[in-house]
Amino acid sequence: MGIKKIAKKDIGNLLHQWGKDYTILVPSTEGDTALTVHGSRFTVHGLWDGSDVNLDWHRNTVKPPKSNFLPPMEEMFRFQKGKEGHSIELPQEERRQLIFGIRPCDARSLRLLDMIFTDVYQDPYYLPKRNSAVLVGLVCLRPYDSCFCTSLGISPGGSDDVDLLLTDIGDEFLIEEISDKGKRLMELTAGLEDATEDDITKASEAKEKAYGKVTRKIDTQHLKDKLLSSFEDETYWEKVAAKCIGCGICTFLCPTCYCFDITDEKVKKQGARFRCWDSCAFSLYTKMPMENPREEKWQRVRQKVCHKFEFYPMSFDVIACTGCGRCIRLCPVNWDICQTLEGIRDRGGDHQ
Amino acid sequence: MTASDISDKHRFLAQGNVYLPHIMIIEKIIEETPGVKTFHFNFKDEQIRDEFTFESGQFGEYSVFGVGEAPFCISSSPTRGDHLEFTLQRVGKVTNALHRLGVGAEIGFRGPYGNSFPIDLLQGKNLIFVGGGIGLAPLRSLIWNVLDNRDKYGDVQIIYGARSPADLCFRYDLDAWGDDKTVDVITTVDRQESRVQSPVSRVEAGNSRLQSQESRVGAGDSRLQTADSRLLREGFVPQVLEQVAPSAENAMAIVCGPPIMIRFTFPVLGKLGFTPEQMITTLEKRMKCGIGKCGRCNIGDIYVCRDGPVFTYAQIKRFISSEH
Repeated sequence: MGIKKIAKKDIGNLLHQWGKDYTILVPSTEGDTALTVHGSRFTVHGLWDGSDVNLDWHRNTVKPPKSNFLPPMEEMFRFQKGKEGHSIELPQEERRQLIFGIRPCDARSLRLLDMIFTDVYQDPYYLPKRNSAVLVGLVCLRPYDSCFCTSLGISPGGSDDVDLLLTDIGDEFLIEEISDKGKRLMELTAGLEDATEDDITKASEAKEKAYGKVTRKIDTQHLKDKLLSSFEDETYWEKVAAKCIGCGICTFLCPTCYCFDITDEKVKKQGARFRCWDSCAFSLYTKMPMENPREEKWQRVRQKVCHKFEFYPMSFDVIACTGCGRCIRLCPVNWDICQTLEGIRDRGGDHQ
Repeated sequence: MTASDISDKHRFLAQGNVYLPHIMIIEKIIEETPGVKTFHFNFKDEQIRDEFTFESGQFGEYSVFGVGEAPFCISSSPTRGDHLEFTLQRVGKVTNALHRLGVGAEIGFRGPYGNSFPIDLLQGKNLIFVGGGIGLAPLRSLIWNVLDNRDKYGDVQIIYGARSPADLCFRYDLDAWGDDKTVDVITTVDRQESRVQSPVSRVEAGNSRLQSQESRVGAGDSRLQTADSRLLREGFVPQVLEQVAPSAENAMAIVCGPPIMIRFTFPVLGKLGFTPEQMITTLEKRMKCGIGKCGRCNIGDIYVCRDGPVFTYAQIKRFISSEH
């Protein structure tokens, strides 16, 4: 496995080079709103001169990369009514994407989304984008206080879920090949230097340090069973949901939330069918004309928690949470998933 | 899931894309009740028309282009006819748009989705069908399926109820099943008084048969009549079921109706000696994608579209009190 490095000042050239074959997405800071912090989201850089990205960024983006694979609103097909009846036209295939600077937690989230989009039926919109994309990961040197990825088998210091992995070693990034796809990309990439022993040692130290910086923990042992036995405990879920304002931010910004709605728009004889993000935080999400199985807020909060920590494990044998902490640090009322899970863990002795 | 199951699931995809609907033509419309219609429809593409197969209990996603998609079961039996049928109540945006369509109109259809009634498990058993309102639609697919293979099943009993005589769906089927000496049909209404001026006396007197499908449509009040010897009972379905008290021995109960009816029917069946494994139902949720991806149709870890819509009570028991 070849280990290379590149000077930070040359990153612009590197992305230019890759930009010939890929749409390049980099974490970028935009605007000046309350929700904007370093690297607010992944944005497209067609002709990028390196000026609008702070190369000292170390913190994860506000928005997860899922929207580059499952856009908030996506055209599924267009339809038109003519003399011969309705005809349907599929959208054109998009250019393949290279996500630069994706964190280990977010790279894992895509692996979790893959499970749902390949389950029985292959999703014809998500999968082509996903399969053609290259993920250039970045070791996460400054996790947030709200991060708890290490409790979910993820390390901020490494990832098997990316194609290439970068580590900040000062004025340079170390570049490691992780997958075959990454290896092929490296072979086609000019202008990289071989890393020295010293560089590799520096990177290892940084990675190890990163791991220790994630101090928040959750205990996932028996969690699934405890959630199952607490499912009917309305009092507990009401308490947990009490301060939730049902805004849905935690679901929209969750890297593993994927729920969507399908909706039509039409003007005269032509229109399109769209897939749009939806959220289990909203009562309309499950509403049927005659009834609503999740009318109450506590039922919806329970759904969100149980989906990730009980139902997903039952279907796919893995927890659908990466511990990225977005739902904690971005919640307007400081709702804390870890506290909820702690409460569940401390309940009942059925599964001790 | 095996590879053959998966390829089986992909047999009828339009252009290899699971979300693309087939264009269908509405061939006939039957007004079941003032708010419920049955549509007979067929594939515009003749090749798919010939190849398409489904099982009783499966559902599809139906769309009016520009309005949206909604899930309904296929209410016809795979054993009958060269067309498909679906039945729906006018309650929301998509159903209203569907109700406005006429014969010859085009709709979108994807499917068939979901599992189906466990035919293998039902064969050789006495079957008790318990239906309420429009919940007879999926049962009807299975009932015709059973009657078309009559010698493979034991006794067949159908207990069907609606709010009022005007709300009884599939009168032509109730009539035909009533005529079948091998089937015991019990029809009940919550109350005899109908929203429409109800000929209660005629119903009670039972002096005229359910009218045939053709004359019934648009016949107004006169369709509130029931079969001659078959008394239209008064009472909720679970109560009537308790009175009828079918034996649980070598029997399976197949239940479909509004959630409130299902909720009260299971305990009655339990009292009659049916085990949760002997009770089968088919559930309705807001299944947007129909293929286990959009996230909203779950009851616990069970996704109604992916794992159902047909379940035994044993499978859904632990969640049914709080989410269904």
